[in-house]
Amino acid sequence: MFPARRRRSVRIATLYFVATCVLLIMISPYLYMLLQSLAPWREVDRVFFPSSFGFHSYRWLLAGGAAALPRPWLRAWGNSALVATVVTLSRVIVGALVGYALAVLSFRGRRTIQNFILFHMFYPGIILLVPTFLLIRALGLYDTYWAMILPGLVSTWAIFMYANFFRSIPQEVVEAARMDGASELRIIFQIMIPIARPVTAIVFLFLFMERWIELLWDMIVIRDPTKQTLNVLLATMFGPYGGYQGPLYAAGVLLTFPIIILFLLFSRRFVKGVSLVIST
Amino acid sequence: MESGNRTAIKVKTTVKLRKELGGWLLASPYLAMAVLFFLIPLGWSLSLVFFDWNLISPVRNYVGFYNFREALSSTRVHNAFLNTYKFMAIIVPSVMVVSLGLALIVHHLPRLKQFYAVGFFLPYLASGVAISLVVRGILSYDSAFNEFLRSVFGTSPRWLRDSFWATLVISAMIVWKLSGYYALIFLAGLQGIPRELYEAAALDGAGPFTQFRKITLPLLYPAFYTVLVLAVGLCFGIFTEPYVLTGGGPRFATHTWQLEIYYQAFERFRAGYGATVAVLNAVVTFASILVIRRIVESWGTRRGFR
Repeated sequence: MFPARRRRSVRIATLYFVATCVLLIMISPYLYMLLQSLAPWREVDRVFFPSSFGFHSYRWLLAGGAAALPRPWLRAWGNSALVATVVTLSRVIVGALVGYALAVLSFRGRRTIQNFILFHMFYPGIILLVPTFLLIRALGLYDTYWAMILPGLVSTWAIFMYANFFRSIPQEVVEAARMDGASELRIIFQIMIPIARPVTAIVFLFLFMERWIELLWDMIVIRDPTKQTLNVLLATMFGPYGGYQGPLYAAGVLLTFPIIILFLLFSRRFVKGVSLVIST
Repeated sequence: MESGNRTAIKVKTTVKLRKELGGWLLASPYLAMAVLFFLIPLGWSLSLVFFDWNLISPVRNYVGFYNFREALSSTRVHNAFLNTYKFMAIIVPSVMVVSLGLALIVHHLPRLKQFYAVGFFLPYLASGVAISLVVRGILSYDSAFNEFLRSVFGTSPRWLRDSFWATLVISAMIVWKLSGYYALIFLAGLQGIPRELYEAAALDGAGPFTQFRKITLPLLYPAFYTVLVLAVGLCFGIFTEPYVLTGGGPRFATHTWQLEIYYQAFERFRAGYGATVAVLNAVVTFASILVIRRIVESWGTRRGFR
């Protein structure tokens, strides 16, 4: 082997070694959580690598948790899934519909709506926190699922992403479909949404994740433990379940790993998809 | 011929009508939600700041600008205000270095770029609550990690009960979460740099370090700018990590704007005052981002990066 080539292969091997070490560091909190959730209780946090593995923390959790302070952990997971799914589906569909209207249909008032959406998108949401809470209460929705779902049904960011993407599609595609007698809704659902798959994947993932890990809002509008999302339940049980670190890790796994798995399913063209987010 | 012309006109008018009506119909779900959950709260927030109201009592006392005066002289708000810049000073530079490092690794890998980029991105998916749980466990007094520190150094820090360490731990959590995401921004920037530049520089005898300093860094200016703006904006919205780990302590060392708003409005039920702090937060955020952007832009123009 030539020395230069050998030097090069040594360099590449080093690079892979460094990359793998960094990767392990980056995912180590997840690995730690997973290992500790399977560890015998007396070893939790006391050792990095448990001597044996078992599902006792999960069983304890799903059986309702501490006898003195039972909590519906499995139901909380279902609440998270329900709220995140409904909200994200609505945000994606509304995003595609409004994005299509703004990008493809030229109608009077379009520019005004566009500017209004930009204003809405950049308006600091924190100012709206207290009044939106008051509104939810005035509507009689405090402590209901609607309080978590209703205010989030529309995302200006999703609209923006779809409008940007649809603008890049040649107008002739739409014209041809119209000539064939397709209705606008049909054009959206049978032509535009299938073309927009990379946008949908990334928008769905980001919005689903955002809703899944929401804390502040869900904490404010929900008091009943049977309606709490898993994220809120875990946050509020931090102190009271302080002596049950193992089961809390199990709850952490139930909270974190679904998103990771969802992401890995979506991740095939992820880097390209993210460039859509970055470029805007 | 004529009938063909007429159908063409008919098609044209129906298409026109479809565009006019369809546009408004398709936009209507957004418009309805925007009125209900944007315009109404927006109007409400403007009046709320002038009242002292406990969320329950039917009486709302008009207090003029008293809420603003109280907030501006409150040490809690001062702490939140200053802590934001403290977090910014730690988080922004570190997140830039770490994410650029991750991007460089991925960029130079001959294969499996996608695999590593996706892996580095995984922290971005974490719930702050779940990660806080891990951090609390690792830093608890008799954890394996602290035992290890004590066996080597003879002592272990008080971590979350120490202002310095608590700030650092929370900053590190945020850097960890964001760097894989920002690395993708740097990666896109790196991939946009033409190879010929490096080849030409190598012919002129520039070593890898000089190439990095004279080509890579200046040409990454737009990526640095994007990451800076994103990271700065994020520092004004820190909530989850201090809420579950430190409650803003010790001695307000990790207190933030959002913690203060939450505490005032929803723990002490001071709706008007909480809304006032939120308005201040938004104004400070807007002004800070504007100033920081101006500084970086003029610096970039002077150095010829823009």
